[in-house]
Amino acid sequence: MNANTKERFKKLQPLIALAVMVIALTLLSDKFLTFANQRNILLQISVNLCLSIGMTLIILTGGIDLSVGAMLGLAGAVAAGLLKNGLGLKVFGVVLQFTPFGAIVAGILVGLALGWFNGFAITRFKLPPFVATLGMLSIARGLTMLWTGGFPVTDLGPKFGFIGAGFFLGVPMAVWISAALVVIFYFISKRTTLGRYIYAVGGSEKATAFSGINVNRVKIWVYALGGALAAVAGLIVTARLDAADPKAGLGYELDSIAAVVIGGTSLSGGRGSILGTVLGCLIIGVLNNGLFLLDVSPFWQQVVKGVVILAAVAADKMGSRRE
Amino acid sequence: MRVVRWFIALVILAGICWWFPLFHVATMKTATAEKAAVTFNATVFAETYWTNQLLASFAKTVKADLLLPAIQADSGAAKIKFARSLGLSASYFYFVSGSGHVVAVSDDEVSLAIMPASTNTEVSLQTGLVFGNALRDGTGLLNTSDYPNSQDFNDISAALNHLVEARVLPKLREQAKVGANMSFVGCAEVDDETTDLKPLKVIPIQTEVQ
Repeated sequence: MNANTKERFKKLQPLIALAVMVIALTLLSDKFLTFANQRNILLQISVNLCLSIGMTLIILTGGIDLSVGAMLGLAGAVAAGLLKNGLGLKVFGVVLQFTPFGAIVAGILVGLALGWFNGFAITRFKLPPFVATLGMLSIARGLTMLWTGGFPVTDLGPKFGFIGAGFFLGVPMAVWISAALVVIFYFISKRTTLGRYIYAVGGSEKATAFSGINVNRVKIWVYALGGALAAVAGLIVTARLDAADPKAGLGYELDSIAAVVIGGTSLSGGRGSILGTVLGCLIIGVLNNGLFLLDVSPFWQQVVKGVVILAAVAADKMGSRRE
Repeated sequence: MRVVRWFIALVILAGICWWFPLFHVATMKTATAEKAAVTFNATVFAETYWTNQLLASFAKTVKADLLLPAIQADSGAAKIKFARSLGLSASYFYFVSGSGHVVAVSDDEVSLAIMPASTNTEVSLQTGLVFGNALRDGTGLLNTSDYPNSQDFNDISAALNHLVEARVLPKLREQAKVGANMSFVGCAEVDDETTDLKPLKVIPIQTEVQ
């Protein structure tokens, strides 16, 4: 096998894995291939997909973001709180009563700001991304508890709920949103200057800096976008449940990192794609769904998922070593 | 060129916010009044429900002297015939009424023998703190789908439990004496079909010493 064929085979690995799983589950369960179940899988992966698109960009630069789950929770809580209770400005004796659109914008801005802060801390103070985002995880969780008082914010109304629980042309809105984000960020990563810079920074940060590109600015943008996408995921979760749970998004960062790695993006940066991540999300979604349909204990489901992630990382490392 | 680009972006943004406003400004007073008008008050609801619906629904109860032999004979068949359950939940409820004589009284229950000449405890009226959703879900009068906010639905349960604790139990504790004849109406929650129903544990809604 020559180098080109090997590279092509490596890119196809997630697709082959997905195809094998789909065939196996179709044979093992008569419910797997039904329209309702397929729609259910797409709906279930839509949140992880939003998170994972941002995570892909971050990992492509050689970074990591452990705070996406916490940012998801905070963005959802802020949007829900503003929609339900408004924002009281006691000094002026008025309350800003947010519309669903206003609450959505506010939620996304919260994610954008927190992501920007992650990027700022990493570039300005030279903190390792692992440490900086671990700190943000704790900050965002704390802020969520402070904002909600530890209680869920419920009863957000049908207009807001539409983005999480509504349907358009028979397909859940959450799926439309995540699909639109895939298209937008695929375009950004492949066809824009920022996209090329992201790959360049991940490939060799020093070489990128020497070529005159502002590496810090690229990184800040990437973390900010990651935060905004986590916020979109948070809005979907909140709208779908018609409630903002202060504990929403707990552990979601692991699923998102797993989807990115399984999709073939290298943890050392510079190599991978949004489409690979879509496949990674589908693999995790199909795996979860399949294990559920086959009545496998949830505890075993976690074990199986862990093994799949380890196998994907090991395959990536072995491939890199050979190269 | 850059300034022009930013200016255009700003104009577009302002246009979007004009057509789709982010928020409306209201005075604190108006906002508080509006919020109070739409906030569900479970205590008020429970009061009205208790008087207008619950007390008027006793004709729907199954008689204890009919239910208990049915449970003894075949608890599964008795469940199908007389019980209510919510969704896919394994637990189910009996909305039951009857009369019997008091065979024992303790801090948290009044034990009744229901069947003629029986001295066994067949129904236990619970007189301790009231937990669970038996009062809300046991009668079939309230439907979960009428309450899009599950918190409101939970609050109804808490408010009904509180009404029983405040109105029914003090009187029951005071009047229940061993040997007295007593009639009752109440709800029983059964965890699943393996639950021991000897005695049937009933949360009382109304009791009367005859």
